[in-house]
Amino acid sequence: MEVLTSLFNVALLVAMLRTTAPILLVAMGGSFTTKAGIFNIGLEGQMLVGAFFAVLGSIWTGSAWGGVLCGVAAALVFALIFALLVVTFRANEVVVGLALNILAGGMTISLMKAVFGTRGSIVGQGIVGLPKVQIPFAREMLGSWAPLISGYTPLVYVAFLAVPLLVLFYRRTRLGLHIRVVGEKPEAAEALGISITRIRYTSSLLCGLLAGLAGAHLSLGYITMFTENMSSGRGFMAVAILIFSNGDPLRVLAGCLLFGFADAFSLRLQTFGYPSYLILAVPYLVALAALFALSYRARPKLIRETAETMRRFLSAEPDKPSNPRPQ
Amino acid sequence: MSLRLRAILGQVIAVAFALALGSIVILLIDESPIRVFTTLLRGAFGDPGKVAGTLLQSTPILISGVAACIALRGGMFNVGVEGQLFLGGFAAAVVGFGLDLPTGLHMLVGLAAAILAGAVWVAIPAYFRVRFNTNEVVSTILSNYVAILLTSYFTIFLFKRPGGWSETPPILTSAHLPELFDFSRLNWGLVIGLVLALLTAWYFRNTPGGYSVSMTGSAPRFAEYGGVDIKKRGFWVLIASGAVGGLAGGVETLGVHHRFMEGFAPGFGFDGLIAALLANGSPIGTILTALFFGALRSGSLLLETDTAASREIITVIQALIILSVSAQVLLRRRGDAQGGERRWKF
Amino acid sequence: MDPVSRPATEPAADYAVELLGITKRFGAFTANEGVDLRVRRAGIHAIIGENGAGKTTLMNVLFGLLQPDEGEIRVDGKPVVVTDPSVAIRAGLGMVHQHFKLVPSLTVAENVFLGMEIRRNGLIDHRAQEEKTRELSERFGLAVDPTERVGLLSVGIEQRIEILKVLVRGARTVILDEPTAVLTPQESRELFSTLRGFTQDGMTVIFISHHLEEVMEVSDTVTVLRRGKAVATRPTSELTKAEMVRLMVDRDVSFERPARAATAGQNILSVRGLWARDDRRHPALRDVSFDVRAGEIVGIAGVAGNGQTELAEVLSGLRPASHGSASLNGQDIVTLSPAGVRAAGLAHVPGDRMVRGVDGNASISANLIMGRQNRAPWKKGPRLDWKAAANEAAKMIQRFDIRARGPGDTVRRLSGGNIQKVVLAREFTNEAPFLLIDQPTRGVDIGAQEAIHDEIMRQRAKGVAILVISVQLDELMKLADRILVMFNGRIMGSVDGDTADEDQIGLMMAGIPQGSVEAAA
Repeated sequence: MEVLTSLFNVALLVAMLRTTAPILLVAMGGSFTTKAGIFNIGLEGQMLVGAFFAVLGSIWTGSAWGGVLCGVAAALVFALIFALLVVTFRANEVVVGLALNILAGGMTISLMKAVFGTRGSIVGQGIVGLPKVQIPFAREMLGSWAPLISGYTPLVYVAFLAVPLLVLFYRRTRLGLHIRVVGEKPEAAEALGISITRIRYTSSLLCGLLAGLAGAHLSLGYITMFTENMSSGRGFMAVAILIFSNGDPLRVLAGCLLFGFADAFSLRLQTFGYPSYLILAVPYLVALAALFALSYRARPKLIRETAETMRRFLSAEPDKPSNPRPQ
Repeated sequence: MSLRLRAILGQVIAVAFALALGSIVILLIDESPIRVFTTLLRGAFGDPGKVAGTLLQSTPILISGVAACIALRGGMFNVGVEGQLFLGGFAAAVVGFGLDLPTGLHMLVGLAAAILAGAVWVAIPAYFRVRFNTNEVVSTILSNYVAILLTSYFTIFLFKRPGGWSETPPILTSAHLPELFDFSRLNWGLVIGLVLALLTAWYFRNTPGGYSVSMTGSAPRFAEYGGVDIKKRGFWVLIASGAVGGLAGGVETLGVHHRFMEGFAPGFGFDGLIAALLANGSPIGTILTALFFGALRSGSLLLETDTAASREIITVIQALIILSVSAQVLLRRRGDAQGGERRWKF
Repeated sequence: MDPVSRPATEPAADYAVELLGITKRFGAFTANEGVDLRVRRAGIHAIIGENGAGKTTLMNVLFGLLQPDEGEIRVDGKPVVVTDPSVAIRAGLGMVHQHFKLVPSLTVAENVFLGMEIRRNGLIDHRAQEEKTRELSERFGLAVDPTERVGLLSVGIEQRIEILKVLVRGARTVILDEPTAVLTPQESRELFSTLRGFTQDGMTVIFISHHLEEVMEVSDTVTVLRRGKAVATRPTSELTKAEMVRLMVDRDVSFERPARAATAGQNILSVRGLWARDDRRHPALRDVSFDVRAGEIVGIAGVAGNGQTELAEVLSGLRPASHGSASLNGQDIVTLSPAGVRAAGLAHVPGDRMVRGVDGNASISANLIMGRQNRAPWKKGPRLDWKAAANEAAKMIQRFDIRARGPGDTVRRLSGGNIQKVVLAREFTNEAPFLLIDQPTRGVDIGAQEAIHDEIMRQRAKGVAILVISVQLDELMKLADRILVMFNGRIMGSVDGDTADEDQIGLMMAGIPQGSVEAAA
């Protein structure tokens, strides 16, 4: 019992929200490309260069926000290259995404060696981390629950605010609507004079923007350091979430919270002496299980639909013609 | 023939373009491209030992590349070669130190265990891919992380060599892959890789089964119409690909390290995939691209000591090569016929 | 809406749309040749013609999707150069395409206003859009719920949304391409009353159709296209259905029916009570039963999209049937895989040649192997014998007169007719007792058509049971011993090939059962 209460408490929830933030940011970014009908496996790399250049920018400018700006700019460059190759040159998106991931991994390590002369990680060196935001009166209002809403770095708030904003974006703005149309029914977009190319570039860049923020959060958020391949598959998990959520912001949030929880919970378990290697595998296993389970679940729907048509069809008088489809 | 020549020429031009881009990157990190490339050449081919080192590095890339080729020919991406390689290497090590068998047979059983491990590991993504059309790119990538963590766990907590680092006990010499020369660790693994590449090429070119697989990859609806069971074929193609990925790990364990250790073959699986992509899914072409990447890897060992560049600069060059190749002809044909991937494309 | 009440002659200015001397060529093929079409304001003008007569091309020219090679377009008496659809829309034209362009996950109102969203403070004003949609739908009797998601709606309602899309963009002339092809009779009737409502509002309707019944019911004027030319424009009331069919069907170039011996033997294929659904899970085959005997050619006639594709797919194992049976050589094939059906004795020339019939990027040799890679002479020991395959291919290239550089030539480089011959060469040399041929000569030039027909007749003479599906009636009248007519997933009737009559078949294609006509058999 004691173990349980010390496992599940406010701190765990706080840790969950914190670990959810980076994957939520990058998944929200991927939501744009998913909705626009692009399979973007390159999220991982965009996030990684975002993290690296955020550290670099933070040292150069001496300001965390300067770092964030640099990180976002680098991720945007990657997003632009992705869009150029995939949209304009019509290259295979899986190949381009994977190559950009590999490029990001090699480039950050090479640059780390070139700039800092070190391997492995950059710590200290004058990296300025993001400040923590204290919500006024949080303690007075919520007491010991205050850490739930107060004391996070700004990008955590950005990540969670992005969810309702994206819901609004897809429902209420022209651009959001057109992104959905381009992904779902490009021929409808074309017939109405909506440029598929322009929309796909735009969504790819929006994706780079959020992936860059996610990276900056990794390296300037709770820990102010950069390590080799520090995105450690979060971009790929985001892609898994995007596949089974179809990029819908609320479902993406649900998926990301699941991973945030798995992440925070496994970190917590580690402190209880469970072997870290198995614990570290938990988020990936959760991602895989969700991916497989949800693609399996898609089946009963198909069966239901079929049964329904059968019923409708049998209850109708046999002579009543229905709708044949044209070629 | 001239079509194929043009395709090869296209790849060569793309590689040259990527090398030019890579030179710019090298200039940006304040190093001379000429020095970097000559160091790479020296490191790869400087003396017989270095050449052997290049071949040694090429071996796992070649076998992983063949694994990736098999999946590509069937119209799928096996991005999980890295994980299959780790599991294969681990399984071979367990057989290597855990069983006591006669020389030769011991080695064969070790390789068989590696093959089995790779095949089993890819079975779930493969099943879901053909049955429910679950994207195999994501599922195999994610399973890489699990495979690497899982093998590390077993190595550290179950089979840790007493007093040693994070590695299994050494395998018995009866399970070693024989070495080819006495001045290098270069071993029969290279021969296995070459034979495998040739066999795979021969299978795709000269057997009814290979024909059916190729057609499943390049024109799935035509293959289906012609009576090919494309789901079954697709499943077994991924299984075969995973099995070869496992073999790559087994060869690495039994031939080079003679034990399994944490981080024992980093990135070979990905290099193999890139080599296969650059060769446009041709196993014979993969022999050449794997040699190229092996030379880059081998040469990069000198980079750290002789230049200011880190050895990861070769990863940058590899990625640039794939990007510039992708912009022109890479997998255009197979990409078009990607039945499962097409829902993302129009 | 009484055409008789109109004055006999009207001033030129009362034409809403005029197409004058429109010619449109695609390479050597002339789709429209000097077509004149004058559409009276506030009327319903039907354009009828066989498949490939040039109806859709003409409308695409009018709507700016295609540029005419010659001719002039006038809207409201003024010449307009319609460079693209936006010009047409500004001139007050609106087109409802045969294939709807709606986004399933969006609501009705969102679809209607897509690309011209009503915004307030930069955000889309859903309420205003829904309000306006409701207003329009009530005004024109196009009942829709503006807040409903399109993906949940029936095709009939989808069509109303497409019409609303056109109206909201201010169209005064509405063009509908085969609007009833996807509708139930009830839905069609509702559509017609809507269209009549338009004309009472002073709007003009151009209506493309195959269904003569409907043309009779709804239109004021009919223009008949045949082989790209406008052969007649008459008030509908002056024409009978039989006259329309006569005008539509081009007798002059009808193929000559080859002499034939009665060779029909035992039943090879027996289909009984077959039902199947299409991709959207609507019933596409309804209680289809027929037989094909050895040495007999059975033709399936019908307007495209009446279940022929699904029939071919079910018979070749590519689509599951929901009920019924089909036996080939006494073996039930409904549950078999494509490979199983082939083993039972099917050879199949698919309708969608480039997707199902060949791998365009592979060589002729490689394409000719498909389906028999496990048989001699292609398989030798464990190997695929490419030399033997090339020899076989060379033989077939010669025998089927495939114009190519050799067995190694890439299929995509060949002309449509030659690609079709590659498919025929593969399937006709399988020695299968049953041949299923879907659209034998689609997209094939006349010379090659003759060659393909001769080859089919040779197969008949060899005692093969042949089922030919074609949308070209003249082709079936030339080849078939019996013609079955499909409409809406059903077989409407059967006529003897020797005594077949186009009018009679045309009526069945339009959904009028055989009962009213005396059966030939």
